[in-house]
Amino acid sequence: MEFTLYTLLGMIVTIVLAFVVGMTYMGLSRKIIARIQNRKGPPVYQNFIDVAKLYSKTTSINHGFMQHVGPAFLMVASIMALMIVPVLNGEQWFGNLNFSGDLIFLLYIMVFGPLGMALGAGQTGNSNSAIGVTRGLSQMVGFEIPWVMALVALMIQFNTTSIVDLLNIQAESGTWLMFSSPFAFIAAVLAMLGMFRYSPFDIVGAPTELASGPVSENGGKYLFTMMSSSSIFAFVKLVLYVDIFMGGASNLVMLLVKTFAIYLIPMLYGAVSPRYRTEQAIRYFWGWPAFFGLLAIIYAVVF
Amino acid sequence: MIYIIFLIFIGGAVTTYLVGKISSILRDIVFLSTIIVPAVLFFTEINIGQIVNISVAGLQLQWGITYFGYIFALIVTGLGVMAAIYAIPAMKGKKNLNFFYSNFIITIMAMMGILFSRDLISFFIFWEIMTWSSYLMVVYQGNDVQKIGIKYFVFSAVGAYAMLMAIVITYSLTGSMMIDSLVAAFPGFDFTLQLLIPILFLIGFGVKSAMMPLHVWAPGAYSHAPMAYTSVFSGALSKMGIYGMIIVMVSLVAYIPEGHWFREIIAWLGGITAIGGTLWAVMQDDAKKMLAYSSVAQLGYIIVGIGIGTELAMLASLFMAVMHGLFKGTLFMVVGAVEKQTGTTNFTEVTGLIRKMPWTFLAALMSIIALAGIPPLGGFVGKWMLYESLISSNHYMLVIAVFFSSTAAFLYCYKFLFGFFLGQEEKEWEHVKEAPAMMVIPMIIMAIGTFVLGTFPGLILNPIDAGMQELGFVATQGKYWEMSMLFNEWGNVILLQPILYGIMAVFVFFFVFLTIKGFKKTRYVTTKDISSSGEIPLEHENLTYSQNFFQPFYRAVEPVMKRQIDKYYDEFGRGMEAFFDFVRRIYTGNGQTYALYVVIFMVLLLIFKDFIFGL
Repeated sequence: MEFTLYTLLGMIVTIVLAFVVGMTYMGLSRKIIARIQNRKGPPVYQNFIDVAKLYSKTTSINHGFMQHVGPAFLMVASIMALMIVPVLNGEQWFGNLNFSGDLIFLLYIMVFGPLGMALGAGQTGNSNSAIGVTRGLSQMVGFEIPWVMALVALMIQFNTTSIVDLLNIQAESGTWLMFSSPFAFIAAVLAMLGMFRYSPFDIVGAPTELASGPVSENGGKYLFTMMSSSSIFAFVKLVLYVDIFMGGASNLVMLLVKTFAIYLIPMLYGAVSPRYRTEQAIRYFWGWPAFFGLLAIIYAVVF
Repeated sequence: MIYIIFLIFIGGAVTTYLVGKISSILRDIVFLSTIIVPAVLFFTEINIGQIVNISVAGLQLQWGITYFGYIFALIVTGLGVMAAIYAIPAMKGKKNLNFFYSNFIITIMAMMGILFSRDLISFFIFWEIMTWSSYLMVVYQGNDVQKIGIKYFVFSAVGAYAMLMAIVITYSLTGSMMIDSLVAAFPGFDFTLQLLIPILFLIGFGVKSAMMPLHVWAPGAYSHAPMAYTSVFSGALSKMGIYGMIIVMVSLVAYIPEGHWFREIIAWLGGITAIGGTLWAVMQDDAKKMLAYSSVAQLGYIIVGIGIGTELAMLASLFMAVMHGLFKGTLFMVVGAVEKQTGTTNFTEVTGLIRKMPWTFLAALMSIIALAGIPPLGGFVGKWMLYESLISSNHYMLVIAVFFSSTAAFLYCYKFLFGFFLGQEEKEWEHVKEAPAMMVIPMIIMAIGTFVLGTFPGLILNPIDAGMQELGFVATQGKYWEMSMLFNEWGNVILLQPILYGIMAVFVFFFVFLTIKGFKKTRYVTTKDISSSGEIPLEHENLTYSQNFFQPFYRAVEPVMKRQIDKYYDEFGRGMEAFFDFVRRIYTGNGQTYALYVVIFMVLLLIFKDFIFGL
């Protein structure tokens, strides 16, 4: 009983941590991009203000059941993924459900949210939302290929599909996987550009063409849930990269340093890039990123 | 007892046809009981391993169910009963119903017959009955009979001849028609035959399971049969090909010395089938066609697993076979329901049915989540096992291929749900109502089935394991699975129960949060009441988005899509026509010409007589 209580408490702490860190990073990214573009930019805590505002607002309309539960789907994916990914090495407080799933499970549960969200967006009847969804799904087919190639390379190199095992392997050998399997790291990082949806891969939201795409028609509590979910999700993805390629983190400070370092990649790449067309984005991922994924697999088989 | 089941089927088929001339209600009752009673008898009275010998015209026939056949019998009877219940309201008002119902019974009987057959004669006979009855269903609605029906029939015939050849060769070599004696004698054959017999069988089975390049009949045939039947057609009938394929691959191919590359080819054919089927499914605007291509793709996954042939891969394949029967059966029923209520199955015509047909939508949603392989529904279990088996058996490129296909499947999954149920609600479809309860209930039951199997796959892995042990695999319980756990070769584990409870807890929490917060203040607004880029759309403005739905994706994959196997078959057909035309010209109808032919023949005979007769 005590164990269950600790686990539950740990879960809640993890979720709060993910929420706060994710929100802060988003705020930081807005600031940094603004400085790059020679604007002043909003304060770092702007996203917290936004979320608080959205929470306190009354939502006066909905578009039916699917739109109503869409954000809940999104939350399921974010939180379940967070439960599977180990936050800190060997820390009992963040044990969560780390041993209940593996990388392949993670790949699939991460799709759960976008699909639910897409269904919700579909019911609003806004054609921009539907266009955004089709773009998002198409782009996903693009970046999943190099991403899966990188993961498969790691799986065959180390004979495991578990994230915890990969962490232990790195701890034992003393090197990070980004050095011991560099091609997989490159492929995964390039795939990450698509995963984070910063420019040039921000074709889903595309403020200028699609009026923010799938999230339009949502406000108040719905947008609040979506925003919280996406900040948690961003945190999950960052921690996953840190776990797999950078040996995880033994304390929170290291975690923040490493995750932020990873976060800078898509952000800075995006700050200076214009937007791709959808088919260009897909083809981009099937070009060099997939090539590096292939190299990674060959590397894993040969060595 | 085995006789009784078949007697009920045959008697039921005849009675249904005859009674239908008198009263339609009586016919429905006879029809349902003819499907349900044998199913109940099968599960209560038949013992696995029980065998009956029949001697007809000097031929020894042997019937009996094996543990392995039992898995497929579960699919056939389960789906058969559900589809039969569904068929009654779905087919209401159509012509030739007596014929449809009795034909339906005959198909189910033929499939059960295939599973019961322990000898190749009755296997082949039931196989042909199945082909015939399904052909009659394909042409039942009478559209495009020439094109679709003939295509299906030609491919089935080619498959049947290949199989017949294999059977005859077997008989001439072993002098016995028993499947067991073929398996026993197979290691003694010389290498050419060891290769030839499996290939001939696989052509026969590959046609039914729509393996590329033998799949071209499938989209047309699946979409032209009545939907009540197609759910059986795609869900169960195509699995007969898988059933045969597994027997061939496991019992025969394992003996081929260089069996390795043979397996690789089959696995890669499965992989290509999966990719091609998925890409074509994404492009379809007609729901039936889309699901047909999707069936082709899903059967591709199953073939991949069989081709690999490791224990985990076989488990994955058989599990996916059961799951595919469940969710694809449901999805075809959904399409049938939509067709009945709206009269069309085209995504570009129907939109926004979610509020009119909520239960149908729920069934569709759950099946789609299962199809996409998203946890916690059952599709995930099969996919997970397939990936793990591919990675641990060193098929790296194949796993990428399968993953690509499975990710691209999300596209058509979304298109299916969006096309029918979401999007703008149009005036044209305002009158649409929910389908009759008898159609909805089977769909919901099957959707719940996918849900239960997603968390407790052990329920179905148990009989699968028994069947696999019979085929010579070691027991896999505890090694690869428990009631709600999955393992891979390296000891990594998936605990399905905590995952399910986690998902439920989070979902319920946020669902309650979203519902309770400001409950009274939130009201429903129509799909016209939106902020379409800051402009308020007027009543007559059409905001439906359904044409060219995945155009950007199509642009990206265009080079692949240009290649199509149909064209080559057409070319082949045209080439044959030209050849026959040439042959026809030989028969000029002129007596003089024929005389000339005789003279030429004699001359040739004289010239080459040494060569021919070896004198």
